[in-house]
Parts: sequence; structure tokens; C-alpha cells
Amino acid sequence: MKRPCGTFDTDYGQDMAIARTRFQWIVGIVAALIFFVVMPFFTSTDMLSKINIIGIAIIAALGLNILTGYCGQLNFGHSGFIAVGAYITGILITHLGWNWWATVPVAALGTALIGLIFGLPSLRIKGFYIAVTTLAAFYIIMFIIIRSENLTGGIYGLNIGTVQLGNIIFDNEQKFFYLIMFFLVLLTFFAKNIVRGRIGRAFIAIRDNDLAAELMGINIFKYKLLAFAICSAYAGIAGSLFAAYYGYISAEQFTFRESIWYIGYIIVGGMGTIAGTFFGVIFLKVLESIVTGFAPDLSSLLPVLGSQLISGLMIIMFSIVVILFLIFEPRGLYHRWELAKTTIRLWPFLY
Amino acid sequence: MDFMFFLQLTLSGILVGGIYALLALGIVLLYKASGIFNFAQGDMTALGAFAAWSLMTWAIDAGLASLQVPIMIIGVIILAFIVAFIVEHFMLRPLIGQPVIVALMLTICLGMAISGVVTVIWPGPGRVLPPLIPTGSFNIGPISLSMGNLTSFIVCMILFGICVLFFQKTKLGLAMRGTSEDQQLAQSVGIKVTVIFFACWFIAQLLGTFSGVLVGSVHILDRGTLAAFGARAFPAVLLGGLESIPGALIGGFIIGWVEMLSGGYLDKALGGGAGEIMPFIIMLIILIFRPYGLFGYKRIERI
Repeated sequence: MKRPCGTFDTDYGQDMAIARTRFQWIVGIVAALIFFVVMPFFTSTDMLSKINIIGIAIIAALGLNILTGYCGQLNFGHSGFIAVGAYITGILITHLGWNWWATVPVAALGTALIGLIFGLPSLRIKGFYIAVTTLAAFYIIMFIIIRSENLTGGIYGLNIGTVQLGNIIFDNEQKFFYLIMFFLVLLTFFAKNIVRGRIGRAFIAIRDNDLAAELMGINIFKYKLLAFAICSAYAGIAGSLFAAYYGYISAEQFTFRESIWYIGYIIVGGMGTIAGTFFGVIFLKVLESIVTGFAPDLSSLLPVLGSQLISGLMIIMFSIVVILFLIFEPRGLYHRWELAKTTIRLWPFLY
Repeated sequence: MDFMFFLQLTLSGILVGGIYALLALGIVLLYKASGIFNFAQGDMTALGAFAAWSLMTWAIDAGLASLQVPIMIIGVIILAFIVAFIVEHFMLRPLIGQPVIVALMLTICLGMAISGVVTVIWPGPGRVLPPLIPTGSFNIGPISLSMGNLTSFIVCMILFGICVLFFQKTKLGLAMRGTSEDQQLAQSVGIKVTVIFFACWFIAQLLGTFSGVLVGSVHILDRGTLAAFGARAFPAVLLGGLESIPGALIGGFIIGWVEMLSGGYLDKALGGGAGEIMPFIIMLIILIFRPYGLFGYKRIERI
């Protein structure tokens, strides 16, 4: 990473710092103030609900980026793991009457446990094989959810109700904004600290060459399982938030296609970067809402195309965007962002 | 009686397994020649089957009902040509030298794009194909089998045989096997690797189309059914081993058999749908003990 001119690191702490220069601190604090204090009161509810959905998606995608982007294990069952988190929350609330806040850690741990179970084959198999075993995990999870009707309500789903903290009831978008952002900020720092510490380095070593990593003394089994557990825990928390935000969960909300979308987010954003996860989710979700905005006009212009036009178009657009990124910029938007920053710092000199 | 029930399930499972074997063959051929695991196989199946439906209904509407099958076959060959050209030329060529995971993601996105195209062009509920193969059922002693399944099984086996012969006996098949050994070596002895890739995608799309038409004739032609068939081709491939053509056949049979058995014995206990999930569970268990499938190559890795 390039630093602004004249910035020298004199110890390892400075080398690892997230915000290194005073300028970065100022920009960061001002942006955070605007985003968290001013913005929620001056934007429309519609916009805020989009931001909330993006926030939940980023939490889930962060977990996937740690597993796929950092540790190199493909996961096609991410939406299944999110479903596990959502259903753990839902079952604890509807059947045992727990408070939502108490269910979040249980959902995270429970989903991590499920992730561990399906991560077990990763010791023996890799590559395509691990991709298909996570695909199998998705189908098995959804099968169990749909079939255990007494607990999950089967195809009818579960009503969660509202979330409370003391006597604050989370019933509008602004309150949910702060709820989701609380978890998002917390989990982003957690993810960032995982990946720049010992664990993250072990993950990267396993991704680059797991045989070499093992020879260097990294316990592959432990770290692969840890990656699966972290990924699933993030999915579990995202699932809990999902259940709280929508107030209703059913098996139809967790599709295989959704799992692919999560992989698409981290490809577009940049695999193996925390900031890239944000770029990817925001980029694709904004694109999605633009297409959804134009689709009614399009379908009234061309009624022959039928009612499923919007969903079909969305899928086509999404996959073409990801394919274009794979072909032209496999390192994702984050790489472009770094290039842009470097260009600005070096301007007008070309050295 | 109980044994007869078992036999009945076994036979019908193997008949269904023929279609899985055909789908698995498409994936295995592509993997052997180009090292790409084609996750789009299920969606290519749907695309081909719906295109075949359009061609056949068009032929019937145009008063060419007797020519519907030749028209369909010519049409799907053209379609396979177009699909293979687009995939090879615009998607795979820029990816030469990229890590394998990128190509894998590409096939997934390709599958999504194809399924989106299918949703836009053929929206709404399923279609009914014009009758191509006999329906009804027949009995061998106390065992009753569906005529449609038997016919589709026979067609699958014939196609499978043709593909294997092509792979083993023709010059292009030899070139494909050479490419699968080592792409650079193949290029240095004058094999055009791009042409091989094109041929592989062509065959994969064609096999997908035929299995899609067979599924559509036996069951009904809709996206959900075809997607379910496509999804069960993956465990068939991995069970048999990614590099093995006989493995694809046996993997397909095992998946069909397991599906039927679990449907017959476990559905009452679990409330239906066990047949969709057991193949995956069996695959998980076998992969833990044999990580490269039943007949796959054991890779010796170096750093």
C-alpha cells in the first residue's frame, strides 16, 4: 500500500493502523458524523430501508469474504447459514419467549456449530468438491427447516414480532438503522482485526497454498474449521438481524440464488479485502434498485415480455456484471479504489 | 413382497439414473478437457429443453408435424453452436491464465444468466412437450415400470455410448484427451485448444438439451423440475470422480437408486422430499472416505 509522501512507519503498530495519517482521521470522523448523526434524519424512509438492507447484506458478506476471500474455501450455502441464524432467533422468540437480544449470541454460536459440521469435509477435500459439499449443505439445511414443521412452521414461516431494548421498541427505519449499524461497525472491526492478526495471516497462507501452509506449521484443520465457524457466525448474526428487520421469516426468503449473490458481492468488491465487501454490496444493491426502478416502465413498453420480466432481468444484469468483473477486473472495485488513491497521491508526478 | 418393492425401486432408480448419467457425462467431458467444472449444466439443460419446445410447437403450428423431430434436432444443434461460441469466445478466452476459481465463478454466473434468459423468454408455468416417447407402464412379473422412463433410459444409454465412442475412437476425441492431459503440450503438438474447448461446450449443451427434452417428456417441462435434475447431476459427478467417464455412469445410477430407495422407504417417516436430499447426504459421506470419488484420479500435490 502506498502512503502519502513523507509518512514513515517507525513501529509495527503504525504499519497495521487503519487510519494512518491525520487527514484520514479527520475525513473518517467527519464522514462518520455525517453518516450516523445527520443522515438518518434527512433521508426518506425508503432510502433508509435500502441502507438497512444493505447493512444486513454487508454483515453476511463480511463472513463470506473471510471464508472465501481470505481462506479460499468456496461456500455456496451461505444463504442456508443465514437461514439457520434467522430460524434460531425465530424459534427462541416464538417458542421460548426470549428477548431478541439474548437470541443473537445463541444464533451466532448455533450457526457457527452448523458451519463447523459442514466444514468438516474440508479437511479431506478441496476445490470443486468443497463447493459442492456446501451446496449439499444448503439443500440439507433447507430440507430440515421445511420438514420440522413443529419448530419452524414449515412453509408458513414464523412471526417474530418487534424487538425491544429496555423500553425502546424498534418499530421504524431510523431505530433499525442504529441497531443494524451498531452490529455492522462492531463486526467490521472484528473482521478487520481477525484478518490483520495471526489468524488472518494463517487464512491467507492456506488460501495461497494449503500444502505449503501445512509445511510451515499452520494447523490447517483448525484454521479451516475456524474460518467456517467465523463465516457461519457472521451469517447467524445477519440472519438474526434479518428476522428482526422483517419481523417474519419463511423458507422462501433463503434461496440458492441468494447464496450466489453473496459470492457475486465479494467478487465485485474484491475478494480478500474488508473494504471491498462494502464496495461490492453497495455497488450491486444500488444497481439493483436502479433496475427495479426502471423495470415497470420497460414492462409497460414491452408487455409481451411478461410479468416475470423484472426478476429475469435482474438475474441477467447481475450475472453479466459479475462476469464482466471476472473478465476485466478480477481483483474487484477495491483494487480500482487503491489505484485511484495512488494516482491522486502521486499527481502530478508519474514516479 | 418386501423384496419385490426393493427390486421395483432399484429398477426404476436405475432408469432415472440414466438421465443423471447423461448430465454428469457433460460435466465430466468438459472437466476432463478444460479443467472447468461446469455449474451451468442444469441451466443449459433448461435452455435447450425450452428451445426444443418452441421449435416443436412452431413446427406443429406451421403444419410440419411430421418433421418436428428433425427440425428440433437441427435447431438445438444451432443453439448449441451459438452457446458454445459465446462461452468460448467471449468468456473463456479472456480467462486464460487466471486461477481456476475464476472460471468456476464464471460458469455459475453463466448459469444464472441463462436461467434469467429462460425466465424472460419462457415465463410463467411449465410447458407440455408434444408426445415424443411412449407413455404408460408395463409389468415384469409383479414389478411395474414406466414406459417413458425405460425409453428415456435407452436413449440416454445410446447417447452415452456415442459420446464414449467419439471420445475413444475419433481424432477430435483423441485431441480432447490430449488436451486434458496437458494443455501446453497439446498445443505444442498442433492441437488447437480453443477448438477443443468449443467442441466440449458444444457437446455439453447438446447433451444438456437431450436430457432436458427427455425429462420434459417423462415429467413436465418446467424450470423447477429441470433445476432439480441439474442439481442432482453434481453429486453424481463427484461420486463417480471428476475425471472418470465410467464414474459418471455409475455415479448417475447410484444417485438415481438412492433417490428412489429413500423416496420409497423414508418419505413416510420424513413427510416427503427425502429423495431430493439423500443423494447429497450419501455424497457427503462417501466424499469423507474417498475424497476423489469412486473412480477419480488421486492427485499427488507438489508445492
